[in-house]
Amino acid sequence: MSWFGILSEKPWLPEAQGTAAQWGRTAYTPAVKISLRFLLGIISVFFMLFFVTFISRSQYDDFLALAGEPWQPFTHSWRLWINSGVLVLASVAMQNAVYALRRDQSLRLLCSLAAGALLAMLFIILQISVWQFLQAMGYGVAANPANSYFYILTGLHALHLLGGLVALGRVVNSLRRDGDLQNRHAAIEACALYWHYLLGLWLVLFFMLTRTPETYALIAAACGLG
Amino acid sequence: MTHIAIADQTAHLHHPKTFIGKYIWSQDHKVIAIQYSVTAIFVGLIALLLSVLMRLQLGFPGQFNFITPDAYLQFVTMHGMIMVIYLLTALLLGGFGNYLIPLMVGTRDMVFPYLNMLSYWFYLVSVIVLMSSFFVTGGPTGAGWTLYPPQSILAGTPGAGSGIVLMLLSLAIFIVAFTMGGLNYVTTIFQARTRGMTLMRMPLTIWGILTATILGLLAFPALLVSAIMMLFDATLGTSFFMPAIVSLGEPLNHEGGSPILFQHLFWFFGHPEVYIVALPAFGMVSDVLSVHARKNIFGYRMMVWAIVIIGGLSFIVWAHHMYVSGMNPYFGFFFATTTLIIAVPTAIKVYNWVLTLWKGNIHLTVPMLFAIGFIFTFTHGGLSGLFLGNVVVDLPLSDTFFVVAHFHMVMGVSPIMVLFAALYHWFPLVSGKQLHTGLGKLHFWGTFLGTYAIYLPMHYLGFLGVPRRYYALGDTSFIPESAHVLNEDITIAAIIVALFQLVFVANVIWTLRSGPRSVRNPWGVASLEWHTPDVPPVHGNWGDALPTVHRWAYDYSVPGAKQDFIPQHVAEEDVEYEAGGRRSGEGE
Repeated sequence: MSWFGILSEKPWLPEAQGTAAQWGRTAYTPAVKISLRFLLGIISVFFMLFFVTFISRSQYDDFLALAGEPWQPFTHSWRLWINSGVLVLASVAMQNAVYALRRDQSLRLLCSLAAGALLAMLFIILQISVWQFLQAMGYGVAANPANSYFYILTGLHALHLLGGLVALGRVVNSLRRDGDLQNRHAAIEACALYWHYLLGLWLVLFFMLTRTPETYALIAAACGLG
Repeated sequence: MTHIAIADQTAHLHHPKTFIGKYIWSQDHKVIAIQYSVTAIFVGLIALLLSVLMRLQLGFPGQFNFITPDAYLQFVTMHGMIMVIYLLTALLLGGFGNYLIPLMVGTRDMVFPYLNMLSYWFYLVSVIVLMSSFFVTGGPTGAGWTLYPPQSILAGTPGAGSGIVLMLLSLAIFIVAFTMGGLNYVTTIFQARTRGMTLMRMPLTIWGILTATILGLLAFPALLVSAIMMLFDATLGTSFFMPAIVSLGEPLNHEGGSPILFQHLFWFFGHPEVYIVALPAFGMVSDVLSVHARKNIFGYRMMVWAIVIIGGLSFIVWAHHMYVSGMNPYFGFFFATTTLIIAVPTAIKVYNWVLTLWKGNIHLTVPMLFAIGFIFTFTHGGLSGLFLGNVVVDLPLSDTFFVVAHFHMVMGVSPIMVLFAALYHWFPLVSGKQLHTGLGKLHFWGTFLGTYAIYLPMHYLGFLGVPRRYYALGDTSFIPESAHVLNEDITIAAIIVALFQLVFVANVIWTLRSGPRSVRNPWGVASLEWHTPDVPPVHGNWGDALPTVHRWAYDYSVPGAKQDFIPQHVAEEDVEYEAGGRRSGEGE
């Protein structure tokens, strides 16, 4: 039933004969999936607010974009492309785990989950190496607001990935305890969805953080923040 | 396997056996609710004490040596933040949300009990971090509860070192705790309701909690974003909010940041926060009024729509807190318009509460007294909000005591009235004992009349132009002597109201220690929470089988029915009617 339909119900009327028998037949969506959808909504709002402040801040005179001129660190962003590739592989591994789960292949499942986790950890390590690269170039966290945003946004993305690793660790741990694949469907699918989401989020961050001042001006104008 | 929260069988329910498992690291929503409530009330009492201290300074300036200008600002700041976040939000959603959601929608527990437990412990850590700021060098922040930069992190503002950092950390931890709890509430309500509990059969308490939780989940990220960015500004020297500035004669390393950006972020959270507090209160007061008037709630559907519409609108009114920040006049016009529009669904709710009482069989019990008191205080607070929502009226009244009086009436006193209505109403369910009625009535009249004695004159002070947050007014020419006398009176009233809260504390302690056991369902309530096999409900709530719901929660004084309420789980064929009295089911 649509939301309008639900909100138009007249609950004060007596229950129609035979209605009670139908209760309990509705399909049950696992709670973990519902809550993950809400969580992804919350994380989206969280990063969206950062983006709004970022675009707004990018229009101040002191903001020096990280790309555009040859000497700027992300005019050639091959480091970030490598990191992106690693995260794509992590996401593929997690999707592979979902396929293995559907085919009841426990060894393939465990290998895929391990690959997904290890690649996510590798991504975080590579992100830290990008931070070191920036530091070495003199692009410290307080040197310019563009740098501040880069550190803060990539750091928060990595924190979310770490949170995902903790959740995945708990799922794998419970699998090791009872080996019950059937009851872990929702949890593993949720982990995979979370990985895909963080990949998508990273690609948006990658795009946002490595544009030229002209592109920021265009986005700001489009958002009414120019 | 069916999820444990909605399983009919209790075989998979792991009952804790040790004291620690039952009462400390408990995953039972009822124990967690009590943990939340006790912690929130404890910090609330601290905030109450802080308000008395600040009132002492305002009423009798210079009489108390220990209230220095810095200490005064710290009292104001901590009082505000504790009351709004750590008491009201935590008690309404963490306390009542946790206790009532599973019982009112008919589940055995929240869908993620472990996460629920973590939510409380994160909340406790946030409280400890906040309280620890009283003991660090420089003390807690004195930046005002809005924490506006640049002053909040600059030398010269009390607590600009460790105090503000601890405040921001504490808020961040609180938001993590709220998110864990909030995800649980929303998922439990959407996903784990018992058979027959359609969304439109849920009590309004649950609608209020659900909408407020969704608001919180979407609004708290704005506070988190601003807290993280300000933490970076304060500790790492970034310039998100900090402009180029000279402090104490020295130019600082900041450049180009926007303090206004912080204000937008803060109020994008701050205004929905008003409704995060108000909507659960709206829901609970609706249920209390209906039960104690022995009448179904007037306009249930309209009440649900109003809650949802208020929730939606609350995200597009935030800048009415910023009229004096120098915004574009068209912006002000837009936000004034949305602010006035939000008054429409709110007014609908007030009318419906009054119409619920109309020709009801009103029982002037203690919960009912507090609920009726709420209608008064909320209407008064709401009406002064209409003044402040208009730009031209707001500009001269901004930062005066009129604003303080307004928001205390609408989101201080009003939710507190509902909280007390709810505490007196649900206390027999939680403890199995009923609070003493005489002490309860004494508590009500002292609080109700006392708060009016505080806040009505405060509106007048605002009209005179008396500014808020000032340590002392001194010999200000436009403030007459009568204003100082009024300030003394307000302080005395505030002390009396604070003392009356001790009556409540004494009542709770006395009742728990030696009060008589309450009868089962003493108010004759139709909603599910009063119909568990055991009262107070035990772990798992529902014994061998979950209830099946056959009606809404407001079947009171049904024409022809023998009993003056019909519980939600009673089927139509099981209702006893007088001869020829069965209701037809026709019409609305």
